[in-house]
Amino acid sequence: MFDVIVRNGLVVDGSGEAGFKGDVAVLDGKIAAVGAVNGAAKREIDAQGRVVAPGFIDPHTHFDVQLLWDGAARPALEHGVTCIVPGNCSLSLAPLRASDRSKVVGMFQQIEEMPPEAFTQAFEWSWEDFAGYRDAIAKQLSINVAPLVGHSVIRLWVMGEAAQQRTATPEEVAAMQEVLRECLRAGAIGMSTSFVDLDEHGRPVPSRFADFAELDALTAVLGEFGRMLQCVPEFYDVDITIARIDQLSELSLKHRVPTTFSPVFDNTSTPDNAPRILARVEEQFARGARVWPQMQTRPIDISFSLLRPSLFFARLPRWVRVLRQPLEQRLAALRDPETVAKMVEDLGPDGGRRMMGGLIVRGGDAAPAEWVGRTLGDLAAERGEPPALALINLSLEHGLDVAFLAADMGHEVTDRVGPMLAHPLVHIGASDGGAHIASFSTYGDTGYLFSEFVRKGAHLSLEQAVRKITADTADIWGLKDRGRLRPGLAADIVIFDLETIDRAEERPVFDMPGEGMRYVRDARGVQAVLVNGELAYADGAYTDARSGVVCV
Amino acid sequence: MSGEAVIVGAEIAAGHDGSAELVLRLRYPNGGEGVIVLEAEKGLELMAVCGAAHLEELAGQSWRRLLEGTCST
Repeated sequence: MFDVIVRNGLVVDGSGEAGFKGDVAVLDGKIAAVGAVNGAAKREIDAQGRVVAPGFIDPHTHFDVQLLWDGAARPALEHGVTCIVPGNCSLSLAPLRASDRSKVVGMFQQIEEMPPEAFTQAFEWSWEDFAGYRDAIAKQLSINVAPLVGHSVIRLWVMGEAAQQRTATPEEVAAMQEVLRECLRAGAIGMSTSFVDLDEHGRPVPSRFADFAELDALTAVLGEFGRMLQCVPEFYDVDITIARIDQLSELSLKHRVPTTFSPVFDNTSTPDNAPRILARVEEQFARGARVWPQMQTRPIDISFSLLRPSLFFARLPRWVRVLRQPLEQRLAALRDPETVAKMVEDLGPDGGRRMMGGLIVRGGDAAPAEWVGRTLGDLAAERGEPPALALINLSLEHGLDVAFLAADMGHEVTDRVGPMLAHPLVHIGASDGGAHIASFSTYGDTGYLFSEFVRKGAHLSLEQAVRKITADTADIWGLKDRGRLRPGLAADIVIFDLETIDRAEERPVFDMPGEGMRYVRDARGVQAVLVNGELAYADGAYTDARSGVVCV
Repeated sequence: MSGEAVIVGAEIAAGHDGSAELVLRLRYPNGGEGVIVLEAEKGLELMAVCGAAHLEELAGQSWRRLLEGTCST
């Protein structure tokens, strides 16, 4: 008697081989059989007309805090993601002394945009070491977690305040090596570092004060365990990024470790950047290095409000002048009819319809709920105002705290991005799940992969796309127990409809501690998700299953 | 002009974090060109320092003008 049999689905097993009609049986949390399965099960799931695939793996998230009260990392799991990697960009919640918590909370708030209550009300902060954090999240997991340990917190543990002031002494580097060993023994899947991130005061995070000798020494420890080095290079400058690719490659070759870096994204204003990065990656792989570029699937939107100046207005000098003033003067200028008339005039005879009419009003700020998701053009027509004037008036009516979104402003050309995602050396990831929560939604990239690049653009076959976010990811990260539908492996399974799988529209929700707001996207077309053999999500609802584990 | 990189093009692009960024194309004295990206505040500051009302007016400006801003590093 099996625990579960998923019957009659199109089995796409993660290997990249053609899908076939068949069954998948589960026993004791493992895949017991794949193919035509005879026998009975305690639960049968009819997957007729659906794809049955390994659970998706998201290799770049910041769910470190959320996992302490939400073991499903919602809404990641409902999108078919059964394993997440938190602890990216040099930041994790362990090892961390109680006296250093406020420093790291600030860094997390800078990246994740979590409300303060998330750190003070939502959980009992009982640990200092990595094993303690592992045990704290393991109590209630619905999703699997393969956590990285952050270079910045290792530095802080060893050096205290000096971690954000100077390079380390040889003795301090040796101490960091020992701390890293302890974290890897306790279940860390690797170490993350960053050359970019800032804390809440605008100061570089501790990892940015490390010299190469320190990074080399820590990577040597990763080599002892064969574990991953994750890195955020100076992605705003392609030449420095390429230099970092070379540096990571040297570390990969010297210490025989995989490395990965992100973000890599395409912009039509810098069309050579991503191709140059991929060309360098090809050269380094040819030398034997493992230096995986992570590329997100979703396009990048620009969002802004009149609370702070945005380069969205860079072609409108009068707007820039007005919006760069201190708040009081800015409000006075925006209330001055003469100034406003000139600002609207600057948009030309259409009153801003072309430039601003397509802007989407976002929610979660002071904007009335009924505006959310509507275009500025529609609202302007309703009000009988030109769009530029409506933008000013709508903002003024709500203390300027109304956010607008210009959709698909980067990484948006499907026919450029699709072939890159299909490239065998491109690691699909960089979702940033759980980060930037008050700015935009970082969920549903897997659904978007299928809707945009399989169904619409046909840049990847179904089997290729599944492989990219399952077996390939498991192999890159050394997750030996996951990523394939193969007897003996963990029964992480997603059942979805290829014709409808997608991400829904972005919407604000207030489900963070202290009723904090974040943007999310619900899943579409996902019928069921099993985590280690238990049904964790089915027909639009989460179950009570707590079958997720900390896995390496 | 001699010995200094010069801005030869400017565009607005979407940044990784959802903000609008200023993409500058620089030409170096040896003829080589490169692209750098400035976040919103530095980009707006550069425009102000250069007295540029439009992006196009950044062309021809010395790259050193950025250092004249209040938040230069």
